[in-house]
Amino acid sequence: MANRRRGNGDEENPNGEGIQVCSSQMSLVLPGQPLSASTKAGDGVYMDANGVSRASLIATFKNDSVQVPKGRASAPSENAIVIGTVVRLNSQQATISITIVNGVPLPQGDEYVGIIRSQDVRATEKDKVKIGDCFRGGDIVAGQVISLGDSRSYYVSTAHNDLGVLYATSSSGYPMEPYSWESMYCPQDQSIEPRKCARPTVDYSQLQLRP
Amino acid sequence: MATTNVFPGHILTPPTLSNLKLGPGLYQQRDRDGQTSIIATRAGTLHKSGKNKYYVESNGRRYVPAAQEPVVGVVTARSGESYRVDIGSAHPATLDALAFEGASKRNRPQLKVGSLVYARVSLANKDLEPELECFDAQTRKADGFGELKGGLVISCSLGLARKLLDPAHFLLPLLGTKFALDAAIGVNGRIWFKTATPKQTIAISRCIQAVDEDQLDAQALNVFLNTLDI
Repeated sequence: MANRRRGNGDEENPNGEGIQVCSSQMSLVLPGQPLSASTKAGDGVYMDANGVSRASLIATFKNDSVQVPKGRASAPSENAIVIGTVVRLNSQQATISITIVNGVPLPQGDEYVGIIRSQDVRATEKDKVKIGDCFRGGDIVAGQVISLGDSRSYYVSTAHNDLGVLYATSSSGYPMEPYSWESMYCPQDQSIEPRKCARPTVDYSQLQLRP
Repeated sequence: MATTNVFPGHILTPPTLSNLKLGPGLYQQRDRDGQTSIIATRAGTLHKSGKNKYYVESNGRRYVPAAQEPVVGVVTARSGESYRVDIGSAHPATLDALAFEGASKRNRPQLKVGSLVYARVSLANKDLEPELECFDAQTRKADGFGELKGGLVISCSLGLARKLLDPAHFLLPLLGTKFALDAAIGVNGRIWFKTATPKQTIAISRCIQAVDEDQLDAQALNVFLNTLDI
């Protein structure tokens, strides 16, 4: 049960690997810290050039596995549910600034850029989409990453009942409520504006796509 | 509220707040305790149309595109299936190459850079570039829109352009009695016209400027026309 000290090596540990964790206790590991030999590479674990498995995060280690802490911000991966704000709009696509990935907000200044192409806005009648009737600048939109894209942006789709505009303000500045899948209603000036709305869900961080 | 002059920020008190329709130039502002006020956003005169619709009639030279308005534009570039047209607004407009009467993939008009078009704004919102079309989307007929060949385009104020669209205005019928005239009026403050000789073209251009800048009425314009050498 002893933790070995860091050193240049001794009889039992000739290569001087550093502080090695013991598998049966739960302990805190730091990035680069070698883990027990039976830990497989995966979430929070990587194999270095010598075949030693090491931790890649600050995490807790128990029973040969690294427990990645929940609530940790990560870059969008394929099929991640992202929430972003529409920053640019043209007739072919809408550009969003992604601020929440899989329910976890990203650190300030660390936003990713996503593109929603007009053919990915909805599942039906994809070629007849008028992007001005689906999104407007400043709308907050939930989407799903369909591709990691190129160096400039991720590709995001809103082609699902649970994806689309979550929050938007009307032309006079008041927040609107979803009225149908394709329109929103402003209670202050009783106007209806077209948007591709997401089906109202109580907890967007737990969004599970239902068909 | 008789015809009053308003400035941007002017707070107005309408006789009744129920069923009030606010036209261009008016904005409803609600502050945090729910107090509503109607504020003018343009400098001009307040007008009432019908029972409860109010709007501000203003003049200016900067065009803000709105849907269904006829405009005169200049083709500045051709990109793929569409043309970029300058209509004097903040952003250039897009004119689809197939948005003409009788256009199909094989048969489409070949507009050169620098040619003039008379088109209708089909889409205008603050987030997107304006879009134009040279036909009526429902009937697919040109209705007078399309390429304008020859002639001359002059700029005028937006207020005059809107007044000229009214057939009861004196200017164009008066000019039409003097010489044969073909004209297209864009609410973006551009007027295109075509006549037989350059002298007549210059005369018309000077008349329009006189009415715009010096606010001549029919009589004064007649006097002015008689001084011109046509």
